[in-house]
Amino acid sequence: MKCHRGQLIIILACLVVYSCTIFEKDFDNPVDFEANEEKGIGAPTLVFYPKTQTKTTSDSVIVGSFIVFNEDSTKPFAGIHLQIEFPNTLLELDTIKPGLFITDTSNATPLFTYTFDSINTIDIYAYFLDTLKKDLEGTGHLADLVFNPTSTGSDSVSYDLNACEMIDHEDNIIVLKGDRGAEVIVQ
Amino acid sequence: MKKLPKYFLFLFLGSLYSTNLEPTFLVLNHFDKFLPNADSSLIENFSNSTFEFDSTFQILFEDIDNHENPAASHMVTIKELGEKYQVNYILFNRIEHINDRFILNGLLFNTRSGGLIHRRKIDLKQYLNGQINELNMWVGNTVGQVEKNWENNRKSILFSDPEEINYQKTPRGAAIRSLAAPGWGQAYSGKKISAGLWASTESSLSIAAIISFLNYDKAAKSFKKNSKLYHGTNDEKDVANYRTAAENDWNDHVTFSALAIAFAGATGTGWVANSVHAWIVGPRAYKNLYQKWDPKSPNTTG
Repeated sequence: MKCHRGQLIIILACLVVYSCTIFEKDFDNPVDFEANEEKGIGAPTLVFYPKTQTKTTSDSVIVGSFIVFNEDSTKPFAGIHLQIEFPNTLLELDTIKPGLFITDTSNATPLFTYTFDSINTIDIYAYFLDTLKKDLEGTGHLADLVFNPTSTGSDSVSYDLNACEMIDHEDNIIVLKGDRGAEVIVQ
Repeated sequence: MKKLPKYFLFLFLGSLYSTNLEPTFLVLNHFDKFLPNADSSLIENFSNSTFEFDSTFQILFEDIDNHENPAASHMVTIKELGEKYQVNYILFNRIEHINDRFILNGLLFNTRSGGLIHRRKIDLKQYLNGQINELNMWVGNTVGQVEKNWENNRKSILFSDPEEINYQKTPRGAAIRSLAAPGWGQAYSGKKISAGLWASTESSLSIAAIISFLNYDKAAKSFKKNSKLYHGTNDEKDVANYRTAAENDWNDHVTFSALAIAFAGATGTGWVANSVHAWIVGPRAYKNLYQKWDPKSPNTTG
């Protein structure tokens, strides 16, 4: 009886202690400049969202391209060149759509173009040409890349940061300090 | 030779007087309840002694224990009383009743020396004619005349064999009750204040632990929800808002987790301590143990 009572007390104590689990803080949204800074990636940063996604071969894979600024040190920009590489053994390019951030208020697309080398590299050029504003400022959505899976497996879509460029309306270069790729898993 | 008859006359009267020397007592009875047969019982049971009764000296003997030498505390007064009442001894008897018990405090003074020569203090559970019986035994002890039936009367309420004692309440019973519900064991032992204290303390700690746990649970769920929303959006403002909310929830769930564990620990420790306390203050045999009065037992008191 005493033994059972002791076991009961131990079980109750364990229940109390373990029921109060402390969860791990996992803030790793690529659009969050704090999360990027915590990973040692400075702003402004070119990122993809979502950072990882799992799809089947019949799905479309949509990868969003974003520019992320530290909210305390944003810089106005007017044009951007992105060079993106994707795994052509896993994905094939379907479409590239301009992001909401660089679309003007009338929802028109002032200037958005891209080139594809038919292998695995995409170059996107976008310029903000609004009638009232000269620049854009802050974190925002630059483009959506739509891929079709060609096989199963996992790989990543990434920026070639050396080839990427961002300029203001006077053609001054704004230094991009980091980038983050996106993982795609096709099942 | 003419003086010889006078000498024999004195010798005869002296021897006559000496053979008739019976102890004489001035009895000072002070009972907090009226005992109808107390005086007559002494007179009937101790026919070889003479008793005078007076109950006006109550205050005189109340402070006897405060004196450095209680035995010699009232020598002058005792001698004066002895001369006044022409007695050999002064017998002071006080009986106080406390709940179902009575305390007999007896003092015997010698009027010749004025000193306290015998003292008895008895704390007993009441039994049938117990006060008179104990009074008889006490006086009988002073005069060397204790009757067997008085002793049997007293023995009749005492257990002769400890093995026969059946404890209705035990410290173990108190401890088990307190382990089941804090304060129950103390209440079972008649300790109502400590029972209330334990019950209220354990209740408060338990409620605090439960409230902390519920707050922890709420914060943890909110943290998980905001974390999911944080990861599920690419809007920078939503990301910032969900992150702030999730961080606040995380801090709250850590705080309430610590509080819940602390309060739960205190509750558990207090629970065990309460059970141990119940065992310590649990009901134990108090002085003498009595068995139920047997009404068939003859009443042999005077």
